[in-house]
Amino acid sequence: MRKKLLDILACPVCKGDLKLEVKEENEEEVLEGFLICDNCNEKYPIEEGIPNLLPPELRDKL
Amino acid sequence: MKDQKKFHQKFLQRLPTVYEAAEDSELLLEAAMEEIRKEDVVIEIGAGSGFVSEKLKGKCRFLLATDINPHAAKICKEKGLEVVVADLFRGIKGKFTLILFNPPYLELEEEEKIGDWLEKAIDGGKGGIEVSVEFLKQAKERLEKGGRIILISTSHNFERLKEEIKRLGYKFEVVKKRKLFFEELYALKIQI
Repeated sequence: MRKKLLDILACPVCKGDLKLEVKEENEEEVLEGFLICDNCNEKYPIEEGIPNLLPPELRDKL
Repeated sequence: MKDQKKFHQKFLQRLPTVYEAAEDSELLLEAAMEEIRKEDVVIEIGAGSGFVSEKLKGKCRFLLATDINPHAAKICKEKGLEVVVADLFRGIKGKFTLILFNPPYLELEEEEKIGDWLEKAIDGGKGGIEVSVEFLKQAKERLEKGGRIILISTSHNFERLKEEIKRLGYKFEVVKKRKLFFEELYALKIQI
């Protein structure tokens, strides 16, 4: 995901702002990492450049 | 041999899990093509394999594809789309001038439900409109002033959906229709 995308994303659980934790990136985008909610601390994975913003219970169930 | 195995794995991983573009996808694409403007900030909810979004890319200022299904999101990503895995608008806080959705609109019987990914793409919930109604509720907060929603609907539950659209304070018009063997599909342009 491009870093700029962060502006329009929020925590799906509490609508809090997210901060980015980068594990791997290239010139264009973040490839691996986490989006972490400033408010409730829930972590959302970024894998292969795709952020997964499903609430944890949905992410694990599906 | 290794490549072949990889290919098979990919094949098996994908085909049964992601909704293949069909008449409803084509109808959404046709309506979106007529509606889209260069200055639009666009989101497609439930983009599936990216059939609609990939053709809209470059025709607007910004385009985000979303799907609840991570397998679908991967295909969108490979097509060069900006994509996030999300359940409708949960996790999205931006505003958009054009919102697109080809929703699941079938009402499945209990015994038809098997709980796989594909089911998410076709099961519209109670009356076949539950997902569409929830989408419209959430879209209110995400629609820029003067923005437009294009939503696909079917003759099977159009009457009930119409009532809900009005109840939520939207106005709508049917901008495209397609007759199939057993139903008629509509592309609705919905505004506040």
